[in-house]
Amino acid sequence: MDEFYDAATRLNCQAIRDWQATERPIVGYTCSYTPGEIFHSVDILPVRLKGIETEGMEIGDTYYGPFICSFPKCLLQLAGKEKFMFLDGAIITPGCDGMRRLDECWRKAAEDYKGILPDFFYYFDVPHKSENHGMAWYIEELRILIKKIENHFNVKVTDDNLADAIKVYNQGRRMLQEIESLRYRDDVVVSGTDIFAATVAGTVMQREAYNQALRRWLEELKNRTTSLSAGKKRLMLIGSISDEIELFRMLEENNDAIVVGENLCFGIRHEGNEIDEHGDPVEALGRHYLQSSVCPRMYGKYKERLALLKQKLDAARVDGVVMQNIRFCDLHGAENSLFERDLEAMGMPCLKLEREYGPMIDVGRMKLRINAFLERLRV
Amino acid sequence: MIVAGCDIGSLTAKAVIMENDKILSHAVIRAKTRPSESADEVMEMVLASAGLTMDDIACVMGTGYGREQISFVDHVKSEISCHAKAAWHVLPSVRMIIDIGGQDAKATRLDDNGNVARYIYNDKCASGTGRFLEIMADALEVPLPEMGAMGERSTEKLQISNQCVIFAETEVVSLVNEGKETADIVSALHKAMAKRVASLAKSIEVKEDVVMTGGVAKNSGVFKALSEALNVEIKSIKGIDPQIMGAMGAALYAQEEALESNGELKKTG
Repeated sequence: MDEFYDAATRLNCQAIRDWQATERPIVGYTCSYTPGEIFHSVDILPVRLKGIETEGMEIGDTYYGPFICSFPKCLLQLAGKEKFMFLDGAIITPGCDGMRRLDECWRKAAEDYKGILPDFFYYFDVPHKSENHGMAWYIEELRILIKKIENHFNVKVTDDNLADAIKVYNQGRRMLQEIESLRYRDDVVVSGTDIFAATVAGTVMQREAYNQALRRWLEELKNRTTSLSAGKKRLMLIGSISDEIELFRMLEENNDAIVVGENLCFGIRHEGNEIDEHGDPVEALGRHYLQSSVCPRMYGKYKERLALLKQKLDAARVDGVVMQNIRFCDLHGAENSLFERDLEAMGMPCLKLEREYGPMIDVGRMKLRINAFLERLRV
Repeated sequence: MIVAGCDIGSLTAKAVIMENDKILSHAVIRAKTRPSESADEVMEMVLASAGLTMDDIACVMGTGYGREQISFVDHVKSEISCHAKAAWHVLPSVRMIIDIGGQDAKATRLDDNGNVARYIYNDKCASGTGRFLEIMADALEVPLPEMGAMGERSTEKLQISNQCVIFAETEVVSLVNEGKETADIVSALHKAMAKRVASLAKSIEVKEDVVMTGGVAKNSGVFKALSEALNVEIKSIKGIDPQIMGAMGAALYAQEEALESNGELKKTG
């Protein structure tokens, strides 16, 4: 687990230092719609950018203003503080409008903070619909992205090496699904905090090394017998973007609860889905990354998202759902309210938590609400 | 069996000693910087007032923001549960509790068995809390306990539009500079605060009977303004200081814990 926690909780982690030592490029990306397989296929390390280790917000506030989600502001703050200097490239995606604006805010900040813009800085557009023309558009965007990578890094993305990369990623995805299924048992032997750390680590570590570490951990988990769930409430954590291991730790720390599921874009929700290994690999990536998304940025998919969530709640026999949303996150703020309405009507207790993203600021206020929620579940 | 509840809030610390559902003594003090010091002091006061020592107390339950820092408690419980417990105890017909404390306002809805069904807090903003009233009382140079009665003497309807404490203070200063009567400004503040808390309560659906707990419930102006904003008759809690309801609920939970450990009762929640 140490390597997972190192990769998940430190920007300058061992996995990145090891890769830097090989003098091969690193490209950061901001959203789960960016296929890591493309970069992996040409020996570029894709690293999902995290907002951890942010201290202060003066740079983020200057270019973004105050009324916007604190996650992209943290990314800009870290960029301005030269915490992403290990990047040879960055891909900005319109996961939401706040994230879309990171493209122009980072460029603008680079006029004042010289050298913070990676040489390869690319805006990767993603449609909000996955049917017909939306899918064709997304696949075209993928092909343009591939061309840009080939030209900038002087590499060639072939169908064969892309298909190989998909297979490598799928190995990890299958193991994550196996780990996920361990949560469905009566006696859960692994904490939600550990699982989330392992999943977030996968967005940083080199894939073959990650798969090896995951395989070792999975074997160890299969031999565990001590229940961590006995007498505890089984929670699911959903909502806004979060890479914060501490959020899970806070839910589990007082031994009243265990997190048996999450529906976060840094979590297994996304990382656990397999990709078709047959046919055109770019089209397979397109189908996976655009169609299997359960992010509220996608139009007209609420009923599907609710059904998927309900399926996960039933499988893990969840007692209560904690719905967090970062202040000014309209997508998850609205989605959480709809989920709350529909899940409470089904008898599933829900707790809505509005908060700021950051290194666990405002812990006291959040703990109060969580404790009261757990007391409600105990009745 | 004698039990105690200790509620360490952001502005005040409260303690209650009970025996067989009856309050033996209670105290409210201004909170100190360290929650543990507030707890020690307020507990000493209630013990002295009842002529007891800690050895006489079968169980102590802590609640409030500082509950984890109280050295002498046996158990802790959230204030949501504690206010609900006390309100249900004194008025079993209660279905909604509006608790306005020093730094937060909460609305809690109960089911027909007295269990917490839903609740909502204000988020990270002092508007609609006791601290808001304190700052406004300072700005107007009116003693806090007199604000309720003063607001009721209002003759002109004024509007305080801004809900931010800092900007509301500048609005109050502007009204003072315009020569408006203090009573009218106070009344407008009560209404502004009530509207903010009412919007919180309405978001989880208002159910009668409604009671108000917490220190701000002692302000008759806010009490009436909130009744109007919710369009319901908020029930008064007779004979009990609404500010000690959290501590009282904690004491009632302590009583259940003590009885359960004696094998006399199964806990209810």
